[in-house]
Formats: sequence, C-alpha cells, structure tokens
Amino acid sequence: MTAAMPNFLPVAPEIFVFSMACVILLVDLFLSDARRGVTYLLTQLTLIGAAVLTVKGMSAAAVMTFNGMFVGDALANVLKLAIYGVTFFGFAYSRDYLRERGMYRGEYFVLGLFGVVGMMVMASASHFLTLYLGLELLSLCVYAMVALQRDSGQSTEAAMKYFVLGAMASGLLLYGMSMLYGMTGSLEISAVRKAIEGLSADNVILVFGLVFVVVGIAFKLGAVPFHMWVPDVYHGAPTAVTVYLGTAPKLAAFALVMRLLVGGLEGLAVSWQSMLIILAILSMAAGNVIAIAQDNIKRMLAYSSISHMGFFLLGIVSVSQNGYSSALFYVVVYAVMSLGAFGMVILLSRAGFEAERLDDFKGLNQRSPWHAFLMLLVMISMAGVPPTFGFYAKLLVIQSVINAGMIWLAIVAVLLAVIGAFYYLRVIKLMYFDDADDKAPLGGPADVRVLMGINALALVLLIPWVGVLMEVCRAAIRALAVA
Amino acid sequence: MTETLLGFWLALPSWLQILLANLVKIVIIVLPVVLAVAYLTYAERKIIGYMQVRVGPNRVGPRGWLQPIMDAVKLMFKEIIVPTNANRFLFIGAPILAFAPAMVAWAVIPFSDTLWLTNIDAGLLFILALTSMGVYGVIIAGWASNSKYAFLGSLRSAAQIVAYEIAMGFALVGVLMAAGSLNLREIALAQAGGAHHWYILPLFPLFLVYFISGVAETNRAPFDVAEGESEIVAGFHVEYSGMAFALFFLGEYANMILIGALAAVMFLGGWTTPFTPAVVASLPWLGDGIHWFLIKVSFLMFCFLWFRATFPRYRYDQIMRLGWKVFIPVTLVWIVVIGVAKFLTPWGYLFH
Amino acid sequence: MLNNYVPILIFMAVALIMGVAMVVIGRVLGPHRPDTEKNSPYECGFEAFEDSRMKFDVRYYLVAILFIIFDLEIAFLFPWAVALSEVGMLGFVAMMLFLGILVVGFIYEWKKGALEWE
Repeated sequence: MTAAMPNFLPVAPEIFVFSMACVILLVDLFLSDARRGVTYLLTQLTLIGAAVLTVKGMSAAAVMTFNGMFVGDALANVLKLAIYGVTFFGFAYSRDYLRERGMYRGEYFVLGLFGVVGMMVMASASHFLTLYLGLELLSLCVYAMVALQRDSGQSTEAAMKYFVLGAMASGLLLYGMSMLYGMTGSLEISAVRKAIEGLSADNVILVFGLVFVVVGIAFKLGAVPFHMWVPDVYHGAPTAVTVYLGTAPKLAAFALVMRLLVGGLEGLAVSWQSMLIILAILSMAAGNVIAIAQDNIKRMLAYSSISHMGFFLLGIVSVSQNGYSSALFYVVVYAVMSLGAFGMVILLSRAGFEAERLDDFKGLNQRSPWHAFLMLLVMISMAGVPPTFGFYAKLLVIQSVINAGMIWLAIVAVLLAVIGAFYYLRVIKLMYFDDADDKAPLGGPADVRVLMGINALALVLLIPWVGVLMEVCRAAIRALAVA
Repeated sequence: MTETLLGFWLALPSWLQILLANLVKIVIIVLPVVLAVAYLTYAERKIIGYMQVRVGPNRVGPRGWLQPIMDAVKLMFKEIIVPTNANRFLFIGAPILAFAPAMVAWAVIPFSDTLWLTNIDAGLLFILALTSMGVYGVIIAGWASNSKYAFLGSLRSAAQIVAYEIAMGFALVGVLMAAGSLNLREIALAQAGGAHHWYILPLFPLFLVYFISGVAETNRAPFDVAEGESEIVAGFHVEYSGMAFALFFLGEYANMILIGALAAVMFLGGWTTPFTPAVVASLPWLGDGIHWFLIKVSFLMFCFLWFRATFPRYRYDQIMRLGWKVFIPVTLVWIVVIGVAKFLTPWGYLFH
Repeated sequence: MLNNYVPILIFMAVALIMGVAMVVIGRVLGPHRPDTEKNSPYECGFEAFEDSRMKFDVRYYLVAILFIIFDLEIAFLFPWAVALSEVGMLGFVAMMLFLGILVVGFIYEWKKGALEWE
C-alpha cells in the first residue's frame, strides 16, 4: 500500500507554529534569564508569521487535506486570525507580570504556542479525531500553564481541579463521539451529517451520544452545571495564564460547538436545541447572580464568563445561519473584552501585590484617569451598554433568538443581562466614586499601555465597521454550511 | 506394545493430546534451562575463581559438580521468614512474578530450524512484554518487605532496569529494521549463509548497547549497585530467605541466559553456521544446527562472568548516566543511520 | 494462527505452578519458628527507626514518566520497523519527524537536568 503524500500547503500555519514552538523550546534552554526577551520576541514573531501564512492561504473555496481530516475554510481562517491576535495581546500583557514573579521562563511561551496549535487544529477539524486531538493538545498545555507558579498552593490546587475535571470531560466527549461513530459508521463530520439524515432524530443511541458530546462541550465552555472549574481555575491561576485561558480557548470552544453540533449533528438539532436552552438559561442565571456576591475581580470575571457563554449559546440555540454568525461575533467580541479586563488586572498588579480584590480598583480615576477610562469602556461593553461592541453582540444574539420564535427566551436573557449589569457598574462606581486606598501610580511598560489602549478603544471606536465584521462572520458560517 | 500406546494416544480427546504434547515439549525446554541456570551459578564460581587465581568450589561431589544441587537442597530446608507487617500475599507473589516471565520467554526462542516450542509472528514483541513484566517483581518485592532498605533498593533497581529497557528496545528496533519481521526464527534465518551476514557487523553499536543493557537489566556486575553486599545489603531481596530467595536468584540467572540467547539469535545468527555454504558443502557437520546456538550462548555467558570478574562496580549515578545519556542517543543515531543507508545511499544492502 | 499461542498459555501455567511449587516445598521442608527478632525488618542491627513506608525522591517518579514516554515511542517504532520496506521513503521521513519531535523533548529534559544525579 503506497501512501499518498497529503497536501501540506493548507496546513502551513500549523506546521510553522509547531516547528517554531520546538525551536523556541530549544533556544530557550541556552538563554540566561537576562536574555529571555529573545524567547518573547520569537514567540510574537511566530504569531505574526502564522497570521501572514493564514492570510496568504485564504481561498474562496474550502480546502480539504489529510484524507478529509483537515479543512481550511473561511470559519477556520477567521477563528485562527482571532486566536493569533488575542494571544499576541495576551503574551504582551503578561511579560512584565511574569518577570516580576520569577515565572519568566520559556515554558510559558512554548506551552502557549503549543496551545495555539491545538486551537488551530480544532478550528480546522473536519474529523472527530482531529477535533479531539486539538482539544487535548490545548487542554494539556493549559493544565500545565495553570500550575506554572510552582510554589503557590492556590495555583497547584486550581491545576489539579482543572486537570481531573477536564480529563473526565474529555473522556465523556470521546465516549459520545464513539457512540455517534457506532451509529453512523464514520468519524468524518460531513459523513456523519449525511448518515444522520438517513436515521430518525429519535434514535436512542444517537441521542445518547449527543448527550455525552454536549456534556463535554459544556464543560469546555464552562456552562452551568459543568462550570465548577471556572472560578477556581480563573482565580487560582496566575493572572498571566488567566488572560490566556479566558480568551483564546473560548474561540476554540466555539469551533468545537460549530464543527460538532452544527457541522455534524445539525440533523439532531431538535434534541440539542432544548439541551442548550437549559444550559444557556442556567449559565446566565447562575453566572450573573453569583458574580454579584464576589469580591475578587478574577472570580467575578470568571462568573461573568459563565454568563457570557450562556448568552453565546443562545445564538446557537436559534439554529439559523443568522444565529450562528451572531454567536461567532459574540465570541470574538467576548474574547477581546475579556482580554481587556484581565489585562487591566495585570496592569494594576505589581511585584508582590496582586490586584485581585475589587477594592484594589477603588479610586482608580484619581490614580490614573486614562486607565480608569479604559476599564470603563471594557466594563460597559461587557454589560452591553450601547454604543459598544458588547451591546451589538448581545443585540444580534437576541435578534436571532426572536427570529427563531422564542420570545420568552429573549425576555429571560435580557432580564438576566440587566441583573448582570450590576457587578460591572459596581466596578465603575469603585473606580470613579471611591477614594483610593493605595495612591501609587500605575506602571507598566509603554508597549503594554499602548496595546491596552488599542484593546479597550477598539470596543468603541470600531463601531462604524460593525457591519463589515458581521459580514465576515456570516461568510465564515456560510462556508461551513456549504461544506 | 507401540500399537497399544498409539491406540491409547489416539483415543484421547484432541485437547488432551495437544496439552500433553506441549507439556512434553515444555519439560524438554524447562529442564535443561533450570539445569543450565543451576550450573551457571557453579560455572560462575569456578570461572571467577580461576580468573582470580584460585580454585572455586571443589569439595561437594567429584570436582564440586554437586555444588548447585546441594545449594538448592540447602535453600529448600531454610525457613521462609515473612517479616512483621509485611503484605503476605505480595511478599510471596513477588518472587514468582520475577521468576515466571523469565521462564515463559523461553517459549518463543528458536533453538534450531525445527526445534522450537512455538513460532509466533510477534516473538520479539512477546519477549519485550515479558521482560517489562519482570520489573513488577522487583518493585513489589521491595514494597511488600516493609523494610526501608528493601524499598529504596527496589526503587533504585527498578529505575535502573527501566532505563536500560529503553536502550534495549531501541536496539531491537534496529534489528527489526534490518530483518523486517518480529518472528525470531525469520530474524535468525535472515542471517544465514555465513558470519559475514550476521547482524553484529552492520549493527555493531546496537549489539554492544543490547548486550551491556542486558548486563544492566539483570543487575549483574558491574551494574549491581542495587544488590551489592557492600552497598545496600542485597537491596530489594534483603528480607527474603529460603526458597523465595532462590526464586529471585533463578529468575536473575534465567534472565541472563535469556538475554544471551536473544543476543545470539538477533545478532549472531542463532543456530546458523559462521562458515560459508562452500565450506559447509564439503564438511556437512559444520552446517546449521543447535550446536552453534549452544556455542554462541555459552560464549555470551562466559562474557557475563568475565565482566563480573574484571570490572569494578559502577556508581548509581554513573549507571543512570550511561543508560540515559549515552545508550539512548547512540541507538537513536544508529537507527537514523540504518534508515538513511537503506533509502538514500546505495549501501542499503549491507543492512539487509 | 491463534493455535500458535496455546503452548505459551500452557507454559505460563507451568511456570506459575513451578514458582508456587517451589515456595510450597520451601514451606513444607523448612522449619517455621517465627520470633520477634527474626521477623523484624533489617536495619543494620538496630531497631527500625520509623515506618518503612516513607516518602521517596520525586526523581524516581520522573524516571518512570520518562520511561513511559520512550516506551511508547518504541511501541510506535516496532510496527514501522517491520513494515519499513513497504512504506518506503515517505514512511521513513514521517517516522524521522516523529523521532525528531521526541528528540526535542529529550534535549529539553537533558538540559533541564531531569536525567541528573541518579
């Protein structure tokens, strides 16, 4: 049996990032602590190079390679570019934070890059095993990154919890995939889709498999009731890692949902729609309500991420092209907002001092009006106040839910979003209307401050181009349906 | 008389026939192996004695030939002491777990072209699996003994065995690349036709790595720091006495002979003759046969004993350094060399 | 084909029976007079200081993990080596890439000192 050589051109970005990650790993071994900036520089150059390769490889039609296991379509490209951008910003924010805490080692960047490869593979997966491979590559890297601060009991505990629960969730996902394989006879997502058309949507084994798959996905998203790891991991991990794991993996989780539930299992939409509705309502409710009780901003942002994921699931629940593209838009906007929020937490932290408590934000306006303003933008965007991107994202998702005929769901979502606005506004109140406990000025290198500015201002200043971005999302979703 | 026996035989149900036939073959293999193991201990003491300019044991029986038998009888009559708080089941199970894999591996060794118990296509894989099982015996013995020395000794021993198992595995991969089959008989047959076909020539580094790793795996000198009396007082089997101790000993020596037999099959052509077919045509008694196999295994056993008499003991960190930092890179490089030679150069035929 | 494995099964039974028989013979023939001194764990002539189930160095755990990784590598190399003539150049290059990635890991652990002091 002579094996045909697969077409490596569509996979060029993944190969590039992977080989550069190996190179950086080796180069970092021979660098002293003073020269660690080389590792950081190489990492950022890798991300830029990957973006260039992805843009150059974009084509109108979807490209399949590796015997149908890998697909390079518009959805994959959009997600990958978003992942590169978000990770670039995340690494930039984290550099000083890591250096001050003695975690400035090459392992952070190398693990981050391998996680990026995992996310890229997930975005381009057209086969169950490719999806699982990317998921595990990402997950294992994040487990290790959460434990990066070896001397901190909190980080180690968070990593253990994440690892044990994540391994179980991956196992459940795989179990569901195996049941679907058993019924449909193929692991390739398009073949599964065709096979399901021939079977009844009530088929017990299919629904059984679907339940396990949804459970696995819900864990990765952090949807209630599979959300238990989210607050502990977001809180326990060093903020440099939280900024990585709270942003880009959400995009990868979107890829998981799209490729699996929409790409492969849309025939079972009657079953998973009701499941996702329950998950969405519980997530929004629990996330928003519990976040009110938090006094640690990382935990608060963790619960807010749970509620945002609930909102995102609403877009999927509407089972329409509009719904999916609004969900994609929501997830990208959420990644940017989360990046800004955690970036601000990092900026406020100094050596030996973690700006974790909400009280650390008191009087930020007096210390640095510019940073308070940036945080204000991020907070109101998260709350969904016009004219920010967050508002448009929520608007589009609720619009698609209404168009699908579930008005009651839209009303519930809006009510819960209003409840959720409280804790965002509380942060604003602390910044502007309270006196600062600690009057030290804010530091941070120039490039980080510039990037932070770009990050937060983009949430408002890019509003005139929201139509363009929506069109990009729609094109990405169209490419998926055609394939 | 033969007719009644034959009639009796044919009257048995087929499963019983297979069972009895195999049992006879197994006894034909096991008995010489056990005798070989016993007399290897005697040969060790004699040969090392002569190397140290003294006569080994020569009192028990004519010229000391009954020494191993008497040693076995002595061990039989010793009390088996189970220490307090020791896990009884594991304590007794560990020596059996160390001894059984060393014996079962003999099932797939081809002694000559027609003399083998079973000729499975995954022979090498089977042996690799069984040698990996042997580590369990070591670890369980140390743990079940409820003694700090035993525990530490077993950990160190296990770490050493496991490190050299990797080197052995990579060396075996090299042999597989050359032979193209996991079947031990076919590996030996691929080297037929004379000593210039033997794999020891193109795969010489792998042979060295395999043999030395074999010495290290069986915890033999000069790698016996986990067992040496001056180091850790017999390591993981410090609490064992009597027949349980004898089982460990038997397992270790059976493993030694097994590694010698495997090295003979994989690198020295097994039962094939070192003489070219032209020479064999004129002197047929020089042809293939079990005698060549026995000569090669005996020579390798002699090398085992020679090492013990000659080399001083390695330190533990030196042992680990050798296993991880020297042998694994050497084998990896040689695997790449074989592959490159086969595909990119015209000298691939050397690594047939 | 499966018939080839029946002798192995019988051999395993024989080896186990041999092992058990030897221990039983030892038990039967040997005396059995336990007393506290004989049964106490060996500690160079002293009383045992503390419980023998103690903490052990994490380096042994590291060695075990490294062994697993390399053993899996060998497990992948075995079928490749057997089928090498059939998969040809493409198979060789693919396996060299796999080995290359594992060698990167090996160099990393070497430089980080995971293979030291033992």
